[in-house]
Amino acid sequence: MEKEILEHGLSFNRRRFLSTMSLGLGSVALGSLMIPNLLNGGDMDEAGFTPGIPHFAPKAKRVIYLFQNGAPSQMELFDYKPKLREMMGQEIPPSVRGNQRLTGMTANQASFPLAGSFVDFKQYGQAGAWVSDLMPYTAKIVDDLCIIKSMYTEAINHDPALTFLQTGSQQGNRPSMGAWLSYGLGNENKNLPDFTVLLSRGIGNGQGVYSKLWSNGFLDSIHQGVQFSKGEDPVLYIRDPEGMNRKERREMLDNLAELNQLSYEQFGDPEIAAKIKQYEMAYRMQTAVPEVMDLSKESDDIVKLYGPDCLVPGTYAANCLLARKLSENGVRFVQLYHQGWDQHGNLPFEIQSQAKDVDQASAALVTDLKQRGLLDETLVIWGGEFGRTSYSQGKLTKDNYGRDHHPRCFTIWMAGGGIKPGLVYGDTDEVGYNIARNPVHVHDFQATVLHLLGLNHEKLIFKHLGRRYRLTDVSGKVVRDIMS
Amino acid sequence: MSRKVIDYLEQLLLVFGIFIAFLLLFESKLVVPLWLQPLGRMHPLLLHFPIVMLLIAFGMEFFRFNPPNSSHSFYLLFLRNLWLIGAVLTGTTVVMGLFLAKEQGYDGQTLPWHKWTGVVVFYVALAGYWVRQQAWYQAAIAKGFVSIAALILVITGHFGAVLTHGDNFISGPLQTPESVPFDEAVVFDHVIQPIFEQKCVSCHNPDKIKGELMLTDQQSILKGGKTGKLFVPGQPQVSLLLQRIHLPLDDKKHMPPVGKVQLNPQEIMLLSLWIKANADFKKKVADLPVNDSLRLIAATLLAPVSAPQETFDFAAADEETIKKLTTEFRSIVPLAHESPALSVNFFNKNLYNPEKIKELAEIKKQVVFLNLAKMPVKDADLGQVVAFENLQKLNLNFTDITGKGLKELTSLKKLKNLSLAGTQISIKDLQAVIPSFQNLNTVAIWNTGLTPSEMQQLKKEFKNINFIEGFKDDGSNPIKLNPPQVKNSAMVFENSLAVLLSHPVKGVQIRYTTDGTEPDSIHSPLFTNQTVINNSTHIRAKAYKDGWYGSDVINFDFLKRTYKPDSVRLLLPLNRVHQAEGEKSFFDTKLGTFNANSPAWANNWIGVRNNDMALISEFKKPALVSSVELRIMEEVETGIFPPEKIEVWGGTNPNQLRLIATFKPSIPTQQRPHLLTIVGGKFKPQSVTFLKIVAKPLQKIPDWHSAKGRTALLLVDELLIN
Repeated sequence: MEKEILEHGLSFNRRRFLSTMSLGLGSVALGSLMIPNLLNGGDMDEAGFTPGIPHFAPKAKRVIYLFQNGAPSQMELFDYKPKLREMMGQEIPPSVRGNQRLTGMTANQASFPLAGSFVDFKQYGQAGAWVSDLMPYTAKIVDDLCIIKSMYTEAINHDPALTFLQTGSQQGNRPSMGAWLSYGLGNENKNLPDFTVLLSRGIGNGQGVYSKLWSNGFLDSIHQGVQFSKGEDPVLYIRDPEGMNRKERREMLDNLAELNQLSYEQFGDPEIAAKIKQYEMAYRMQTAVPEVMDLSKESDDIVKLYGPDCLVPGTYAANCLLARKLSENGVRFVQLYHQGWDQHGNLPFEIQSQAKDVDQASAALVTDLKQRGLLDETLVIWGGEFGRTSYSQGKLTKDNYGRDHHPRCFTIWMAGGGIKPGLVYGDTDEVGYNIARNPVHVHDFQATVLHLLGLNHEKLIFKHLGRRYRLTDVSGKVVRDIMS
Repeated sequence: MSRKVIDYLEQLLLVFGIFIAFLLLFESKLVVPLWLQPLGRMHPLLLHFPIVMLLIAFGMEFFRFNPPNSSHSFYLLFLRNLWLIGAVLTGTTVVMGLFLAKEQGYDGQTLPWHKWTGVVVFYVALAGYWVRQQAWYQAAIAKGFVSIAALILVITGHFGAVLTHGDNFISGPLQTPESVPFDEAVVFDHVIQPIFEQKCVSCHNPDKIKGELMLTDQQSILKGGKTGKLFVPGQPQVSLLLQRIHLPLDDKKHMPPVGKVQLNPQEIMLLSLWIKANADFKKKVADLPVNDSLRLIAATLLAPVSAPQETFDFAAADEETIKKLTTEFRSIVPLAHESPALSVNFFNKNLYNPEKIKELAEIKKQVVFLNLAKMPVKDADLGQVVAFENLQKLNLNFTDITGKGLKELTSLKKLKNLSLAGTQISIKDLQAVIPSFQNLNTVAIWNTGLTPSEMQQLKKEFKNINFIEGFKDDGSNPIKLNPPQVKNSAMVFENSLAVLLSHPVKGVQIRYTTDGTEPDSIHSPLFTNQTVINNSTHIRAKAYKDGWYGSDVINFDFLKRTYKPDSVRLLLPLNRVHQAEGEKSFFDTKLGTFNANSPAWANNWIGVRNNDMALISEFKKPALVSSVELRIMEEVETGIFPPEKIEVWGGTNPNQLRLIATFKPSIPTQQRPHLLTIVGGKFKPQSVTFLKIVAKPLQKIPDWHSAKGRTALLLVDELLIN
């Protein structure tokens, strides 16, 4: 009898347990209805983010980033420091220098004499922005620019600093800013890549740029930057080989795509799918690129605006003109690099020619976009990877000195899409070593760029190896003060 | 309530407990289907019931153990049922709330607080329901428990109210609204005075007149204070007001004083621009020129802090339709996530025809931006464009339209921005149609037939329209041409060479010299592509064109090399970075450029530092050699110097060579610009089958150099044997 009672109790409990269990399971099942792909373990995008469509109405649709590779000296271009001339040759006060980590090039230097700029500055525009005599054309358009004098970074050497600015991490392997935008905003013109890269080089001391800077990182390889070459043919082999017509080319690609599709189905490697897309893109580029790249139809006014070098392939001016044409044709992100800004020594001589290389064409790009009604929707960025020291590297003479890398402050300018024009933002101290007001970290800058393009930097996320990655890693705040 | 109902409710409560935990766990991946959204929106409706029920339940629980309640069976029964129903309704409300939170527009800091306090309320109610039936649950515990629970409930309610009604809902009526329509805003009243009011007036008012200065009204502002007038109209740089603001913060006279809220850069700029514009007290913001900085900054200030996104009163187009209409030459993109408005761009003019516009009929309501720039659009095609009734921005730059087509466009009521650059329009066309547009505010007219004076006339005639005139070179600021370029594939040649010079700008004349003098536009020969040289030649060339300054002189060294040995062997190792392609590089006609210290550009340079550069070449057929030259780089600053000594050895037996010549290139005696040059020289002609060349790097860099005493680097890119 006892046994039966026990059994009854047990079975009652079992029934209760099962019914309660089923309720619990039922509620989980109900919930899972609302979460697509939860149970099949599929790869999913973060909620609220559809690749290809901005999070909110963007101010800018496209970016042209005029990267001044090697770190231009802010003291000779935009950050006017009369005090440095007064204090020429005096030691920089240790209190100013603080515990700043120095590069191996000056760490052992016995003395750190302050070096005043060899070049004079004047005020320009309604905002009265100070611009040096090395940048006469830029000076004329300061009312269209927002000059940020208070950028700072974490790295002290070129490659990490450059990688940090472009990918949000000093180590590399992450997607570049252009790749993120391609992922976040998608194609505008399906005949051209979303992200293109143009290189040029001045005679100043240069630093290398490497293709990792325009890498897609862990994103799909269709987001990778496409480098256009410097020569007469910006895209090699763009023409069909002799004896092959468009129809044959099409058939060949169709057949190839079928084979690729087969092996994709067999191995499931996403790189194969990307390859099919890339072949298609290349086919479409065959018709689009020659039209875009043709400089012969540019009017004389345009040639004078950009300077005659804009007709010499591979120069910065030509790249600026190309950048305008690519951007006009819907390329999301055009990345220029102008090398040669690394003036550790012989600065007065080298910086003059570097400035001459970029001044007229950079200003022309802004003017040209403006007259085409494109400046409202295009964000133009000009700047390097860090600043340069206010003290001299090597021997300081009246008209010759050098400046070492300086992460604590540097100057960039932005113009166009959503940027407040005619603004000078942030300040450095009297000797141009530390930021006095409104610091802008590299991640803040990146967050702002994404914001201007309608993307929330905290939501533009890609999950990779079990971690969610952002361009701004885990920090960065949008600098609203510089937005119109 | 019957036991059965209570059982159901208890089970339901449990379900909610698990369900909510689940939703929270996977919240980031949660997608609320459209048909469930109304349920979410019922959250604000339902929430009042559980609040009241739980509050009453908590109140009754507080007194539950007090006699006579503790023995009053209805009291206890009612309390339990009330608690149960309250908890179930709380669960429902929380689920709805979680759905609602997924909708757009709840981004602030308040939402997380509301959400998590709400969730806590639910689990407190749920746990409480079971806990209160336990034996150890006594009066003291009950009182403490429900007090805290009630407090959290009230806080949750408060956050919810802030979400729905905004932060200042209750105190709102007591605050004055600040918004002034842009057209009515007066620069002083609505832009400048508010700055004084926020940052200055607390000390400079009739009740507290610091420094005898009041900033409350026009008269007192014009009067100034103890130190004098506040400003000189038109001259911000000498105005006292700005001097005080710009003094260093620790200066006693800096305003506002330390500790008070400082002016931000935008405010300072506004004050400065206002004084620069003669400190007008009456001028309206809208009367300022369109591109005026004061107007631009004021406009951002007058606009609400977070300008609401433009809303459109038409429905979104079907996604499938958009997908169907998007092609590789026509992109159709929503302006933003969930925006019904579309932006359409045409690309690739070879694929354009008017049908492609017509095809967009299905989305004619939604198209707001249309870009047809550079497409061969004809006047007749504009009939299709007019169908886009909500069009705001139309780009017709470099199309084939004329004035006739423009008339059609006037029926576009919402058109604001029209780009007509590079088209055939005339001033008459524009004068005729512009008044018929209702909302037009920007027109691009550069690169058209319009003359500068016609553009000025248009600007005068239509003050409200921003005409984009573009850059036009008026010839007043000629710029310098860039130098000519050489098109020869190699600068090193064997017998003779037809020199190819060219210039990228059309219509340029190239003048050149071969004797080392500077070319000019009168005496020097004009380059005609027929110059043939037979010896190493130094060409100096300059480009000229009317309306431009002549270019800088450019120097080209064409180098003749008669003999290329049949084999070459290096006798001593090379510098690690400067290996180039080993011994082959001496005769590959590839020349190097500056910056060879960087590995990326060291390609063509063969270098040594720690030992001599020594090579032996063999000629199968004896060669009559009369000169040996090395092309080198000199970059004094980085320690790249010419060699100290070059020895040329020759003969027919590699083991018995004799010294033919020794050269000692001149060593720079001071810093000088980088240089690519030739060292070595001529000697009495010798017939040789073996030729050994030894170049010794400079062993001691001179004393004036920062690297004095060290060995210099020697870089060679080509060897010339004649």
